[in-house]
Amino acid sequence: MNNDYQDPINALNMPEKADMTFAMDFLIRAKEGVRNTAIALTETITPEARAVLRKQLHQGIALHQEIAELMLSKKWFHPYELHEQYQLDHLSALETIQIGQMNLFPEDTSRKSMFDRTPDEHH
Amino acid sequence: MNKQTLAAHESLDIHEVLNFKTLCLAKSKLMQGIVFDQDLRALMQKDVEQSLQAIEELQAIYKNAPFQAPIPQTRPTPIIN
Repeated sequence: MNNDYQDPINALNMPEKADMTFAMDFLIRAKEGVRNTAIALTETITPEARAVLRKQLHQGIALHQEIAELMLSKKWFHPYELHEQYQLDHLSALETIQIGQMNLFPEDTSRKSMFDRTPDEHH
Repeated sequence: MNKQTLAAHESLDIHEVLNFKTLCLAKSKLMQGIVFDQDLRALMQKDVEQSLQAIEELQAIYKNAPFQAPIPQTRPTPIIN
């Protein structure tokens, strides 16, 4: 990757890489959801609250498994081949660092004047 | 039994879980629009549907929080602009 974000070379394999990132975010959110719900459940006593949290915990565990299996089948996640996972981890970090250092957005992103106005109020 | 208020610490747990679910719903919904892989998109749609349901259930419980208050039509006016 080079620093010109408009260079078409950066589009090479971009969909795959982007999806890998989105899937990883999704997996981590699912995992966090399972942990949060489990913690909330151990701190709850009201039966109605426990019933809801318990159901959502099971649902969350199932979803987490589905995401992990999908990532496994797409080769975005290598829990058994840790050498591959290691390489992937470093490549993702490096590329994301490069994106993080790019100047992608205009200086002023407030665009405040486009919103938050009732008609005629600014006259 | 249904009218019983939640304990304070339970209410704060529900507050945290509810906010987390709300953020996850927003993120999965947004990401569905930029994902390329259709299997991944389908799984995110599943998450959107489950989150909608989960939020409804949590809201029903959250109504019994000791600090519950009438919900205004719009967001309360922020203190800081």
